[in-house]
Amino acid sequence: MSDNIKKLLLEFICRNFMVDEEEVPLDKSLVDAGIIDSIGLIEISNFMEKEFNIKIEEEDLTRDNFGSVEKMVSFIKRRIES
Amino acid sequence: MCGITGIISSNISRDNQRDLILKMTSTLQHRGPDGWGIFTAPGCALGHTRLSIIDLSAGHQPMETGRNVISYNGEIYNYEEIREDLQKKGISFKTRSDTEVVLRAYEYYGGSCFSKFNGQFAILIWDRIKKELTIARDRYGVRPLYILKYNGGYYFSSEMKAFDAINGFKRTMDRSNILTHALAWNTLDDNTLFENIRSLPGGTYEIYSAEGTVKNTRYYELGESEQSAVIDYNTAREEFSAILNDAVKIRLKSDVEVGTYLSGGIDSSVITHLTSLHNNERFKTFSVGFTDSEFDESNYQNEMSAKLDSDHLMLAIDYNSIDKTYLEASYHFERPVFRTAPVPLFLLSEAVRSKNIKVVLTGEAADEILYGYDTYKELSMLQHWKTNPGTDAIQSMLGQLYPHLQYFADPKKLGFIKMYYEDFLGDFDNELAGLNIRIKNNAIMASMFNREWGVTFDREKLIDETRKILPANYSSWSLLQRNQFLEMKTLLSGYLLSSQGDRMSMAHGVEGRYPFLDHRLIEKVFYYKDSFKLSGFSHKHILRDTFRGDIPESIIDRPKKPYTAPDLKSFNRDGAWTESAAYFLTPDKIKEYGIFDPGFVQRFTRKFASGIPAEIGYRDNMVISFILSAQMIQYWIQNPKKQTLREEIKTVDISDY
Repeated sequence: MSDNIKKLLLEFICRNFMVDEEEVPLDKSLVDAGIIDSIGLIEISNFMEKEFNIKIEEEDLTRDNFGSVEKMVSFIKRRIES
Repeated sequence: MCGITGIISSNISRDNQRDLILKMTSTLQHRGPDGWGIFTAPGCALGHTRLSIIDLSAGHQPMETGRNVISYNGEIYNYEEIREDLQKKGISFKTRSDTEVVLRAYEYYGGSCFSKFNGQFAILIWDRIKKELTIARDRYGVRPLYILKYNGGYYFSSEMKAFDAINGFKRTMDRSNILTHALAWNTLDDNTLFENIRSLPGGTYEIYSAEGTVKNTRYYELGESEQSAVIDYNTAREEFSAILNDAVKIRLKSDVEVGTYLSGGIDSSVITHLTSLHNNERFKTFSVGFTDSEFDESNYQNEMSAKLDSDHLMLAIDYNSIDKTYLEASYHFERPVFRTAPVPLFLLSEAVRSKNIKVVLTGEAADEILYGYDTYKELSMLQHWKTNPGTDAIQSMLGQLYPHLQYFADPKKLGFIKMYYEDFLGDFDNELAGLNIRIKNNAIMASMFNREWGVTFDREKLIDETRKILPANYSSWSLLQRNQFLEMKTLLSGYLLSSQGDRMSMAHGVEGRYPFLDHRLIEKVFYYKDSFKLSGFSHKHILRDTFRGDIPESIIDRPKKPYTAPDLKSFNRDGAWTESAAYFLTPDKIKEYGIFDPGFVQRFTRKFASGIPAEIGYRDNMVISFILSAQMIQYWIQNPKKQTLREEIKTVDISDY
């Protein structure tokens, strides 16, 4: 399941933020990598809620959950499974 | 206000030199439609196009004395005082013009004359005896002056397009500077976006010898006055009000009628209010309105105009007018821009000129000197956060930071914003101050250029480049003072005063004057306590406090709204790119001009294939404005306009041959 989540998430990031897949670091902050800004984080969270049918609450907004693509993937996975 | 050109070269024939100075000068006729003149001598040529504002009948240029010849663009607001001083010293004058005062002051004081001038200027002076050319620029770089080194000679001009007239020369974008420009909204130091072209830094002058040596002298730097006496708030208010009032008063000196711009914000409202105090007659005010209410501020403009009973003209701008004018405006702004906001000002200056107004006062630079920009609040918030980790105040500060942006009202979205700013806590107080934030916001720009150019973001290199322009006392300043210095060197001089300022108004022969850029005011305000300018989150505090009662409360207390115009919306209708945008975004044009990565542009255009979403980020607007303007600038480089000078308005033709 993680692979599929990662694939969909990366597709969205590449499409929406106009980067090549190889330019997207998996273990680094997308903000630090210059790929997204604060609105980018909001766009990603809107995508997550819609695409994976999950609810993101205020207390979820931490760097542990959103600090990298890998962290986002495992957050989505946890949320789907819960 | 005028256009100036110059050539220093010993390996050019007399005929070619004359032909070239005429061609170069012909490209600047929009800056000076009232007349033109040239000077030629072995080794040096000067050109001038004139917009006559003071001493309409005399004051033609280039102007000569026995020894020197000047070509000058600008205004010296204290020229009458300098003239009187010189007269007391036995100097006599032939005209009433400010040009002659500049020339005689230079002859009397040498290079130290520039620090006596209060004004905005770019000057070329040829010394016939020493065979040297002195070039100078005002303190803050209000008036432009570019220098091209080519084929063993030096070429000078108010606008870079004049260099396109040189046989065999073609402007080439400088790959090593393009990312700095994209990140900081200006190239640093004297660099420009083009190879071999420099911009004379504000506050400096240079002397070029016939042998080709160049000597550079800085005569002014921001914060040079180092005032040690700390003054209290009430004294500061009185001082601030008195100097600003005088700054407006001296800028109203003119032999032609002067108007003002009203944006709807406090800065231009204060300038217009002060103008009314010195003007017994009804005067003209001008503004830009938008059919898209997201951008429109006409209700505030109308309120201020009604209060002063000014003769007001509001020019309504829609998506179409921006789309249709972007190409022509790009001919004038000459470098990629980040917003379409210069375009409405281009159209406005056309309307101003059609009302026979040549001079307008505007509110530029108040945001820089009085901490009006969000970067000042952001830095202040980060400072508080760093010293009070775990504080709850951040959430509310963030909410106040951008009250005009709707998503700050949603607590969840606010959480993301907080997470975003958290990333800056480690380094926001390094040399780059607020540039740290702008650079990160703009970092996406690194991936859009032609892959073969090898453009990559190197933060350390940028910090090193920035260090080179920092004055010795920089580290003694507060973080907000440092931010002001960098804002003035980047956004203000590179974008607001040039692309959006000088170039847009001078495109139609309209001169902008900026009371907030009076150096007497800036030097005082710079050393006021930070809290006089940013009190909590109350920005431009001293300005609002001083003029409360003179300006409608609704304008004084409204949240700050930066002046912007529709970007993406102007070029894309329901997913379809406009004809002009589509032409410049096609893979063929992208490949032909070679500036951008075709893959990036394709992903970008595809992203908006089904229209512009309601919540559109700052970056996407910036990217479209930047790509299209860069493409259009390249178009003009490849298709320069051919112009000729009208013989019947030639006023000067001096030859030393």
